[in-house]
Formats: sequence, C-alpha cells, structure tokens
Amino acid sequence: MGVRSALARLAAGAPTPAFVVAGAGGRWAAEQLWLEPRIAPTPSPRAADALVVVGYLSEGLLPAVMLAHDQVAPPRLAFQWLPDGAPDDPLAAMVPGVRVVEGGSLVEVVRDAHAGLLAGRGDGHEDAWPDVEPAPWRGVGPYGQGGKGMTGGVPYGRPLTGRADDRDGLKLDRLDVRVGPVFPPFPSGLELVVGLQGDVAQDVSVADNPFEGTAVADEVFRRALRQAVPIAELEVARARSHLRWLGGALRVAGLHALGRRALSLGVRAAPGDADRVARLRRSLARGRGLRWLAGAVGVLREDLGGPVGRAAGHPRDARSEVDEYRALGFEPVTQEGGDALARWRQRVAEAEQALRLARVAGDATVGPLDVVEGPRGPLGTGPLLLDLLPDLLVGMEWGDLVTTVVSLDLDLEEAAVRAGVPA
Amino acid sequence: MSALAGVLATVAAMGIGVYLAAALDTLAGRAVGGGRLDVGGALALPVRRGLALLLRPRARTEHPDAEAWALAPAALAGLAAVGLASIPLAPGLAVADVSAGIVLFGAAMALVMVAVFLQGWSANSVHPTIAGYRFVAQALSYEMPLALVLIGAALPAESLSVGAIVESQAHLWNAIRQPLGMPLFLVAVAGLAFWGPLALPEGEDLAGGTSAEISGAARLAWRVAQLMVLVAGAAMTAAVFLGGWHGPWLPGPAWSVLKTVAVLVLLVWARHRFVRVPIERFVWVSWVVLIPLALLDVFLAGAQALWAAP
Repeated sequence: MGVRSALARLAAGAPTPAFVVAGAGGRWAAEQLWLEPRIAPTPSPRAADALVVVGYLSEGLLPAVMLAHDQVAPPRLAFQWLPDGAPDDPLAAMVPGVRVVEGGSLVEVVRDAHAGLLAGRGDGHEDAWPDVEPAPWRGVGPYGQGGKGMTGGVPYGRPLTGRADDRDGLKLDRLDVRVGPVFPPFPSGLELVVGLQGDVAQDVSVADNPFEGTAVADEVFRRALRQAVPIAELEVARARSHLRWLGGALRVAGLHALGRRALSLGVRAAPGDADRVARLRRSLARGRGLRWLAGAVGVLREDLGGPVGRAAGHPRDARSEVDEYRALGFEPVTQEGGDALARWRQRVAEAEQALRLARVAGDATVGPLDVVEGPRGPLGTGPLLLDLLPDLLVGMEWGDLVTTVVSLDLDLEEAAVRAGVPA
Repeated sequence: MSALAGVLATVAAMGIGVYLAAALDTLAGRAVGGGRLDVGGALALPVRRGLALLLRPRARTEHPDAEAWALAPAALAGLAAVGLASIPLAPGLAVADVSAGIVLFGAAMALVMVAVFLQGWSANSVHPTIAGYRFVAQALSYEMPLALVLIGAALPAESLSVGAIVESQAHLWNAIRQPLGMPLFLVAVAGLAFWGPLALPEGEDLAGGTSAEISGAARLAWRVAQLMVLVAGAAMTAAVFLGGWHGPWLPGPAWSVLKTVAVLVLLVWARHRFVRVPIERFVWVSWVVLIPLALLDVFLAGAQALWAAP
C-alpha cells in the first residue's frame, strides 16, 4: 500500500486528462480549460480519467454525453460545471456519479478527486447505458459473418458494411458513421452522418441541432440590437471570438502550443494588444505549411456575409453602414479565394483590425442597431452555413472535411437561436 | 559484448532516449505556448504522466481483436529496439553492428507499418481503423525515400554496415557530401514515428486515431513505443549523416549521443513549427517530389563513388 500511495502522489502531479464537453452556454468556459496547466483535455474519452461537462446538457446532447461517460475507463470521474448561482440542470442526474461544481472551484475539485482516483479511492464504476449488446446475435460464424453472401450477416443488429461505387468507379466497402455531437474538433453540438468509403465522405447530412430550444448566453452583440453599447466592447469581443477560434483551429491542425498562445490572447485581448495579434499573424504566415493544410480546401465563393463571405472577396459588412464606424475610418478587410486558408487569414486580420478600432473608438457608443455584425456575420439574418455543409463536404477526404468544418467557425447554439427567432 | 549486456544496453539507451524526447517536447511546448517555463517541472512531467497512466485501467471496446491489440505496441517497441541495436555508439560499441546493418534497420522500419496498422485495426472502432489505413498510405510514401537515401549513404562506404558508413565520414559528413540525403531521411523519420507534421494516424481529426481507444498501461506502452521509433530514427540520422562518433575533444560515444540529441531537438522543433499535413498532399508530394529527389541522391552518390574510385 505504501508504494502505491507514494507512486500515486507522484502521479497526481501530472495534469488530469479530461474529456471536456461544452454544453449550452459553456463554449468559452470549456475552451478556457485548455489554458489550465493542471487539466489536459483529451481528444477522446478513452484517453481521459474524467468527463467534464461545461454548461447545460440538452435532450439532444445527453445520449452522446452518456456514451462518452461510459467510454472513460472505470473507475472514472464525472463533473458538470455551472456558473455561480445558476439553476440546476435536471438532465445531469442521467450521468452516473456526476458532481456539479459551481463557479470558480472546478479545477481544484477535479484535481482533488483525480488524486484520490490515482490512489485507488475511485468508485465511479456505474455505466450510464446498460452494458449489453444492442441487439441479439444474428450472425452465423464466430465473428458475426454469415447469412447471405460474404457480408450478409447482421451481428448484434448492425449490418456489416455494404459495397458501393466510389469516385474512381471501384466497388468499395461503405461505412455509415455518425460523428459528433461531442467530437472535439467539431463545434459542440454538430453531428454529421457520413457515408465513408475509405476516408472519403460519399454523402453527408447534418443531424438535428441538440441546442434547439435551449437558451444562449446573452453577449454584447445581441445587446447591441436593443441598446447602445461601447464600440470598444463590441470590437474586443469580436477579436476575442476570432482568437479563441484560432486557438482551437491550430490545435486541430496539430500545433497545440501555438494554439494555446492564440487562446490565451483570445481570453484576455485588450485594445492595446493589436500588435501582439499582428505578431501572431506574421508568425502564421511564415511557412508553417498552412497552405498545404487549408489551401484550396472547402472553397465557398458566394457572398455569404460575415468573415466567410469576406474571405471570398465580398466586402459586405454591416459595420460599413453605421455612421459611428465610418467616422472611425472603418473599411472591411477581405481576402481572395474563399478557401479554408482565406478564412483563417480573414479572422486573424479581422481580430487585429477590431483591436485597432477598439483603441481609436475610445468610449464612443453605437446602437441600438437594426443589423449587428457578429463574429460569424450579421446576427439574425442570412443563410445558415450549417445548411451548406452537406453539399460542401461531399467528396472530401476526412482530414479536409474536418479542416473545412473548423474553418467555418460554426456555433450551434447561435444557429439554434437564429433558427428559432423570426427575422 | 554478451547478449545480456547488449539487451540491457539497448533498454537503457532507449529508456534515456524516450525520457529525453518527452522532456524536450514538454519544454518546447511551454516555450512556444507562452506558459510558465518551469524547467524542473517539465523534466518531472514525463515521469508523472507515465505513472498516472500506469495507475489507470485499460479501456475495453466492443469485440476488439484482443491479441493483436496487445501485440501492436510490443511489436512497435521491438522493431525500434532492433533498429537501435544496429547503430554503434563508437567503433565496436554496438549491440549488433552486423555487416548489413542498414538492411536490418530498413527491414525493421518497414514492419512499423504492420504494427501501426494492427493498433488501428484491432480496437474495432471507426477512427482507429481509418487511422490504420491512413498510416499504410503514409508508410508506402516515406519508405522509398528512406531506403534510397540509406543506399546513397552506403555507397561511399562501400559497405552496408552502419559502423563502416560512420567510418567513411571521418573527413566529410554525409550530410554535406550528399546534401539531399539528410532532409529526406528526416522526413522519413518523422513519417516512421508518426511524429509532428506527419502524425497523420494520430491526428486530432481522428480523435487521436490509433490511440483514440486506448487508456492506462496500453496507452503508455504505445506512447513509449512511438518515442522509441523516434529515438532510433534520430540515432540513425546521427550515425549515417552526421558522422556518428567522429568529432574533436570529446570521446566518440559522447559525440554519438550529442548528435542524436541534436536531431531529436530538430524533430521536436518541427513538431511545434509545422501543421499536420493532410495525407493526400503527403502522398502526392512523396511520389512526385521526394522519391525522384531520393533517386537523384542515389545517382549523385553513385557518380561521386565512381569518381573517387582509383
């Protein structure tokens, strides 16, 4: 016992690997966990010792969260973080052993529990789903093969892969998979149903938005529809949104450390930080292979508004119509090409521009406005990028598909609100 | 050297190399990420992380290929150990400086493809399976340059023994004599160890790919085996292109170790410098650019050897 507890004490100094799920109202708080040196968010639940749900669960999110919970090897830990004084989440009870933490003490609570877990004091063995086969055995052979032909077996109610023509005219196995709604590279809540042949997506559809019907946190852009707000506040919020997106995008691209730098800038960016962003922009432009990753990937040439439209060279920006912004000399920045790379560049350029605007704006205010240009385009109008996904993603190799989805900076909560509010 | 001493030496060298690679990576991450640069903490972190994995149970998927799943990290580690054993630290100081050392190394590294594919396949899960197939495409793309530049390096030595190749660089390193060789070999080493820009089977876009479904000791074993391949690749680079034990003032083995560490630093730097390359682009670049360059490297080395022949 002495050796084990000594080893556990040493091991407890390692960051806690946690599978982090952003629930309703939890997107940015969840991102912040990536900056916490004592927590190591993992790309899959199996790699984690703890499940951490940040924000509220929804009926749509719950089944996936329960599954992720069961995939953390037992004994496991489960936490839900809610803002101070927020009402309880009635759905949390569906996740066995979940501890609800309010306010600022999440990391300490997780760390204490993790030290206990490593010392052998964990008791989280209960699964959320029953550990049984999803359907009775219907195969013939020992591995579920059999039935009619090579792939006629239906082991445990799941048909084996069928075959279909691929893009090169070959007959190849086809696998239908659901990815999301808690797939870390995707925005929380996005679930794609993908027909894969090899790693090429032959057809794609978007599952229901799990945030449908849940409230979204009130932020400054929404407030500007109703009342006057300081321009500096709007622009700092825009820059922060873009930089936090950049942090996540760099992470998915494999540059974890640089992503952390972008994210920490995104959490605390102030009007005086424009030069810091400029340095980051130049550092990204210096032959990091971004062109290989994102060049000519996910091309959208239409005028879709927001950074995605401006990345295709369409200078439409609701701020151009506002006198207060024109007085500050605002002119939209644009890129050429409309590919994922242009969208990367567009957001970084807009973050820098927003901080410079915030600086010269002083305490000038604007609003209430009819149309507010949010970080993802005008609030409450325009087509939803989400609806474009199936056509855009079909035929892509899986890596390009993920690069494209990331480059669009989708926000499923925002999309749910937009879908629910009449224009 | 007796067999037991050889095995112990390989295990010790691997242990130190793996720890060093992990510690260097932690330090580089802190430096780039702008976190507090606590050197002591960063040096202790690989040990703490390893222990934390050891104290956790292994995850279990639905109907995995359990034997293959257990075999994969062991196979990868074994192959890396064979690769490292063929590299001498100093004249005569090798576990197995066999007369066809680079062939042994090349053969071991070619089988890395099987180990990584097994790891991806056996979890019986979507993302690791795609990762396994992805690595096959990756391996088929880097293996040709790897083999070709090793042949190029063997030409001036007129021997396939790693010791003889190091000896042939007493006056001029192969990195200078064959300027195409080392960059191509480093790309192949990154591919071999699915490291940094070529960590394609472990990408975030596949939720960790080959390691998406593993936890506990299995995860630790896989991570250690991966770093072992990286260390073996770095040691081979130092021997075949950077003159191995040749150098002034210090004793031979010290130079071998220093050069290996320098190559590791370069590989760690690349990991934090470049984005992960998509597999389609890597396959394209490899077949259209890297393989022709590797052929050119062999032709030039051959011409040089003929020129130098009496």
